[in-house]
Amino acid sequence: MQQMKASEKRNRKRPDGPDKVTGRLNYLTDLHFPHMLYGKIKRSAYPHARILSIHTEEAEQLPGVRAVVTFKDVPGLNAFGIVTPDQPVLCEDTVRYVGDAVAAVAADTKEMAEHACSLIAIEYEPLPVVDDPAEALGAATPKLHPDGNLLHKAHFYKGDVDDAFHKCTEIVEETYQVPRQMHTYMETEGGVIVPEPDDTLTVYVGTQHGYKDRFQLSRILNMPEEKIRIVSSPMGGSFGGKDELNIQPYGALLALASGRPVKIHQTRQESVISGLKRHPMRITMKTGVAADGKIIAHKVDILADTGAYSTLGPAILEFAVEHSTGPYVIPNVKTEGVSVFTNNGVAGEFRGFGGNQVTFALEGQMDRLAYRLDVDPLEFRRHNLRETDEIGPIGQRIASTDGAYQVLQSIKEHRQLKIKEENEMPDKWKVRGIGTAITMHGGGLGYGRLDPAGGRLCLKESGKIEAAFGFEEAGQGILGVIETIVTEELGCSVSDLSVVIGDTSLVPSSGSTTASRGTSMVWHALQKMKEPFCKLLIEKGEALTGVEGHRLQTGKGGLVVTAHDGEEIPIITYEELAQQSTEEEMTTSTNFDFPTTPDPIDSGHFLYTFGAVLAQVEVDLLTGKVKVIDLDQAIAAGPVVNYLGYKGQIEGGGVMSLGYTLLEDALMSEGEYMTQNLDAYLIPGIGDVPFTMKVEAIETLPEDDPYGPRGVGEIGSVAVAPAIAKAIQEAVGYWVRRLPVSSEEVLAEVSKRRINPWTKAMQ
Amino acid sequence: MDKSDAVNVQTENVPVIDLNLTINENPVKVQVEPTARLVDILRDELQLTGTKISCGIGRCGACSVMIDGQLVNACLTMAYQADQTSITTIEGVSRDQEMDPIQKAFLEEGGFQCGYCTPGMVMAVKVLLEEVPVPTEEDIKMALSGNLCRCTGYGGIIRAVQRMAAENSEVR
Repeated sequence: MQQMKASEKRNRKRPDGPDKVTGRLNYLTDLHFPHMLYGKIKRSAYPHARILSIHTEEAEQLPGVRAVVTFKDVPGLNAFGIVTPDQPVLCEDTVRYVGDAVAAVAADTKEMAEHACSLIAIEYEPLPVVDDPAEALGAATPKLHPDGNLLHKAHFYKGDVDDAFHKCTEIVEETYQVPRQMHTYMETEGGVIVPEPDDTLTVYVGTQHGYKDRFQLSRILNMPEEKIRIVSSPMGGSFGGKDELNIQPYGALLALASGRPVKIHQTRQESVISGLKRHPMRITMKTGVAADGKIIAHKVDILADTGAYSTLGPAILEFAVEHSTGPYVIPNVKTEGVSVFTNNGVAGEFRGFGGNQVTFALEGQMDRLAYRLDVDPLEFRRHNLRETDEIGPIGQRIASTDGAYQVLQSIKEHRQLKIKEENEMPDKWKVRGIGTAITMHGGGLGYGRLDPAGGRLCLKESGKIEAAFGFEEAGQGILGVIETIVTEELGCSVSDLSVVIGDTSLVPSSGSTTASRGTSMVWHALQKMKEPFCKLLIEKGEALTGVEGHRLQTGKGGLVVTAHDGEEIPIITYEELAQQSTEEEMTTSTNFDFPTTPDPIDSGHFLYTFGAVLAQVEVDLLTGKVKVIDLDQAIAAGPVVNYLGYKGQIEGGGVMSLGYTLLEDALMSEGEYMTQNLDAYLIPGIGDVPFTMKVEAIETLPEDDPYGPRGVGEIGSVAVAPAIAKAIQEAVGYWVRRLPVSSEEVLAEVSKRRINPWTKAMQ
Repeated sequence: MDKSDAVNVQTENVPVIDLNLTINENPVKVQVEPTARLVDILRDELQLTGTKISCGIGRCGACSVMIDGQLVNACLTMAYQADQTSITTIEGVSRDQEMDPIQKAFLEEGGFQCGYCTPGMVMAVKVLLEEVPVPTEEDIKMALSGNLCRCTGYGGIIRAVQRMAAENSEVR
């Protein structure tokens, strides 16, 4: 039996846990205020139409209705979008997708609000629907925005691919298609917006960046940012989906119009229709290998369907372009990406951020090439793998890392063990296969993007050390991370600490709770704050107690002196320290940026995490149904801060991508959602997942690495699809090129290849 | 509940019924429309918000409660169906701040992340363990197949239930 690693003992029970398992935790959609109204949003009847008229009179006259708002009632900019505000808050003349909002109502009850919405008469002139991204840029295609249907183009060129392909001995070209995955956070969008007596507004609505919501709402409401308070935590899941504004503008407009608190909590159906999705992409890759087994040419074309509005579409495309060569060294690369507007919902930020799509394609290429060359797929990867100090994927210098080799080696050893396992097949109608895949994934927002972070430590009058960060708890475990890092760095105990997050009136800006950056930024903030904060406390302690400062240190319960036997001798408690000081509270704060590459290459990342996945599947030869029976991952992301949280992120990310691979697609037809709830949009249930999953955390960083723990919010979701796809190929010979995997296509291949027991019997 | 703060649900010509319930061992009377959903009565009328709402169509189990000892989706239960029954919600599982061993197991094994499915999941595990104290893999999968979790991938939930099963088998 392997010895338990130190990190596995760092197994903190989450501070938000007791309230969660007992149901005591108040989510923002659970809040209730006196005289609270219920809001409903009237969304478009068409995926693309001109609005001819909007009549709200009848709705306004309904008893119990307290406010009805349309575009006329937006005092500031009638648009939102994290980077480019091009999505109307309330549409005036055109609707571009079925989630576009045209009006909103606040009433005494949900039923009244819903009824009032049905009484709002909107006259539309339906327009042709742009639902095929491949045709979005056609000359005859209607333009959805003034500048046409091109959202963004991104590219990376290196060497000369055309020339290099001539020197290849083996070339694989394939087109991969990936679906419109829905975040499916269990808590749908919602909260309460409260107009305060002093003319300020408090917005109790979950988001992944409170300060950004404040900025966007200020612009919409034409209200100074200081008058808006955003309480953005906790959330019942987000996965990127709640980073952009959702119901906040409507709740705010209705609260201001009615002068009363307004609660909006979207139904699942409303959430499906209006919410963001993962970008569907069509990715064509042509990859060539020279006689020595080295990949020398890689040509990539990405077409992303961004839907009706921009949100983070450009950044996601750039991320996909950057990650389309993965952890491999390829001298000649030509990657071109295009993201286009259509009337298909809105695609935006989602765990993995474009990496999951291109990794499915890239690892598919690796497996196909290895198959053609008749070499071991992991050995082929190893042969083309980046070295420790290799330049980054788009020519930028990155933090030195051995992660690619570490995860590859780990999963290789794991595969050898798996292959040796005695596999007793449940019946003759099932066959098994094992597949592996690896990936690298950038953390933070990338070069050239505002990516500030910060935090604050303060000894409060109560004697508590307050650690304040502008992050949000969406389930990922940031509260446990803050608790672990602060208590370890300061030497104090949990009971000395009070952690404050997710409230713009109480916390400094820490940037967004996205891009696997939270854990990393908390650690960096503590490295910067630890010394000055301890110095403040110790100087005060020295003045109050007369004990020499160089002997004092922060410890459990207060300042301590360490005896020869290592025991902490208490000198003065934090409470005494706080109460006996006459001056202001002792505070240290910090502002800094996420570490970036020194090379001015836009969007290039600097800190990468690495993941390797082993999937074993069981394919039913009678139905074509695929069941994943093993989903094990090796992750290299630096030291583990909280093993329970780490394992949970990897297992959870893995299963989310199991759904992406086998089950999930928010199907659309002519701009309308075909799946509107969880009866047709299927996410994995407990019966769909392996009963145990192995997570190997590789914590070793290169010597002198100054960057500490990397975040693991995304990495567990990135390389799952290609591993499952390869496992299917091992089992039945079918090369998956489109997700989610079609049982019909698997079955067709089974029949074609005559691997049914009955066809075998006939031969 | 302070009735003065209650939302006025009266609409003309809508009949209301007097509902007599036992919730978490306390008698409760409410006046609601006969077709009001139990989940709304719990969350909006009684402010028992530990019971969650997610899909509203009985697919996710976030609103799972126990009615007369049986696991039920509160979003599919109408007021008239709940009349004269005894209901246990998540608020009734931990008494006097003392956590149920199931809740402790969830806490220690990482059986939750965002926590939104957790109350319903705990209710489902409670019903399972009352019926089958030492469940097999098949039992666990069957019993929890109506409860969706998007965060954990079920790993921590499975470990929590297995731990309960191990403890129960020792006791036996």
